[in-house]
Amino acid sequence: MTGKTAKNIFWVGTLSSVIIFLWLTYDFHRQQATFAKTDQISKQVVAGKKVWHKYNCNDCHTILGFGAYYAPDMTKAYYRLGENNIVSIVMNPEKVYRNSFRKMPHLGVTKEEALALVAFLRWVGTIENRNWPPQDEKFVKAFRLREADARKLNKVDIVMGACGGCHSLGNLGRSIAGDFNDIARRIDYGPDLLTRIILDPESVMPGLGMPPQNVSAETSALIADFILSLKAGKEVQK
Amino acid sequence: MIHYESQRVARRYLELSLALFCLQVLLGLWLAINYGFTLPQGLVDVFSFATARAIHTNLLVAWMLLGFMGGAYFILPLECKRELFSVKIAHLQLVIFAGTAVAAVVGFLFGWTQGKPLLEIPVPLDLLIVAAALLFVFNVGMTIYQSKERTLILWMLLAGVTFLSLLYLFGIPFYDNLNADYYYWWWVIHLWVEGAWELITAAIVAFIIIAVTGVERGVVEKWLYVETGLFLFTGLVGTGHHYYWIGAPDYWLWWGGIFSALEPLPILLMVIDTWLHIKNRTNPIVNPLLWTYIMGLAVFHFFGAGIFGFIHTLPAINYYTHGSQITVSHGHLAFFGAYALLNLVVFYFAMPQLKGIERFDDRLGVWGFWIMVVSMVFMGLVFGVAGVLQTYLERILDIGYSTAHITMMFWFKVVLFFGVFFLGGVLLTVYHLFTLKPAEEEGGG
Repeated sequence: MTGKTAKNIFWVGTLSSVIIFLWLTYDFHRQQATFAKTDQISKQVVAGKKVWHKYNCNDCHTILGFGAYYAPDMTKAYYRLGENNIVSIVMNPEKVYRNSFRKMPHLGVTKEEALALVAFLRWVGTIENRNWPPQDEKFVKAFRLREADARKLNKVDIVMGACGGCHSLGNLGRSIAGDFNDIARRIDYGPDLLTRIILDPESVMPGLGMPPQNVSAETSALIADFILSLKAGKEVQK
Repeated sequence: MIHYESQRVARRYLELSLALFCLQVLLGLWLAINYGFTLPQGLVDVFSFATARAIHTNLLVAWMLLGFMGGAYFILPLECKRELFSVKIAHLQLVIFAGTAVAAVVGFLFGWTQGKPLLEIPVPLDLLIVAAALLFVFNVGMTIYQSKERTLILWMLLAGVTFLSLLYLFGIPFYDNLNADYYYWWWVIHLWVEGAWELITAAIVAFIIIAVTGVERGVVEKWLYVETGLFLFTGLVGTGHHYYWIGAPDYWLWWGGIFSALEPLPILLMVIDTWLHIKNRTNPIVNPLLWTYIMGLAVFHFFGAGIFGFIHTLPAINYYTHGSQITVSHGHLAFFGAYALLNLVVFYFAMPQLKGIERFDDRLGVWGFWIMVVSMVFMGLVFGVAGVLQTYLERILDIGYSTAHITMMFWFKVVLFFGVFFLGGVLLTVYHLFTLKPAEEEGGG
């Protein structure tokens, strides 16, 4: 090979790649609205992205698969956890992960910041990214199914959507704070007290270790009824 | 034994670089401890994994850039056959760069961060880094401009450092859109390591090969043209292998997959040409350890960056391996194989000359080299095993995050075990470089 051929290989190789790459970059932006749902990026979403950066979340968690691999991927976290669970975890990680083998730092995230973060994660979840990550696809599908017909939303969906980040019900939810069937068996008080516990646990039962829940009084009452109904079911069985 | 007085400026760069290297590895061990053991909440609250990781990765970039800059300042006068344009600028730039690095690390400890992985340095400090980079590019450019020499190595070096500085700018702004954020994040991360840094590596290695082996310049330059041409041809469009799952059009699967699958090719050429040049040497082997490093660089570069990158670059595989410990395995092997070893080649080339030693006693250095290389191979393999296991448990068996990840605790204790050996190898090497002594002249060859 002569020096001239080598030089030509360099220039042809480099320039052709530059041209292809810049052209594809132009096209990426052209199609971005479709893939990234740019029309849904509200002020709240941007505020949430700033929260995401402020607490350096990305140096433990991945998002779109990028970042550190120390904690779960957040791309589809909105579908996996739901609003209330995200807020509870982010604001009270030391309580939620009290018995976990891996800890999340208490970062002092405010309620306002946590809600913005939820908006950001909800938008991120809508990005058309070819169903990545694979393990979260089941949550996305289940969410879409419920979303398609809100009237069909049954009590289990509502309760586990709000509490499933810590509590389990059979094979649903996460087993961090106990199964609702067991909890129902232990409870010896009525729905009013249970509703208040859900909204502000420490004020009613100091030392319980459960963080306050970001749900309306109405939802809280519904959850309380549901849990107590499990108790009734058990007694009937007996 | 240096030929130009201004080459001495390189020494401070190299020494600082080596110190940061030790610190980086130490932080790495701390990260492995985070994975391997359950830490108390109180400790996690004040010094989180995120903070430690930001320091670990930024120190990596800092020591490597310092090594590149010091290396460039050392070889530039030799290649230009004149003194550097300005030693003062070189000192000023070092002070700015080192000061910014210290401020950044202290800032991280107090939560001052831009919050982007690997690019955590906040914007005001980014601007200082840019200032230092501009000073560097200016100094290199002026030195070349004022000399009569116009070699290919000089052009490649200048192009590499300019490209490197320009790309850094894409990581600075705040993007409203996460998808665009990560699109341009890769312009810094990928186009650095698979573009600009490869140019610098290729230029520096070409220079050192000519100087050490005595092979004719024209031959080396031909290889340099072909290799850098292929690096840029495959590496630029190859950025697409990061765009599979960010929400981008389908063609990226093809462009990214095919071009990045070709990325090992130029590295393979590098292995071949390094081997040929060593075989066809006209100079005697004065310091065998330097030659070991040169060949080690070529082979490990191919293995860590080329092969381990190729393994998970195709979309069908990457769907399962993306964002797992497999990436960590590739990251460690590639950075060590391509850039840590490159810097060590530069250090072992420059340090003896800066100290006026022609033939140095290399016994400690040989131990250092082999301990580092072997323990890094094992670390890479263990990360790889952990990654395959994680992927299988979490994404194929679908058994849930915490059940899958509790198994990581064992594997990261194994990583920690090899990490301790690696740190030992690093400390030995750094100690050796700081205390180089002439070899005793008896029976040597």
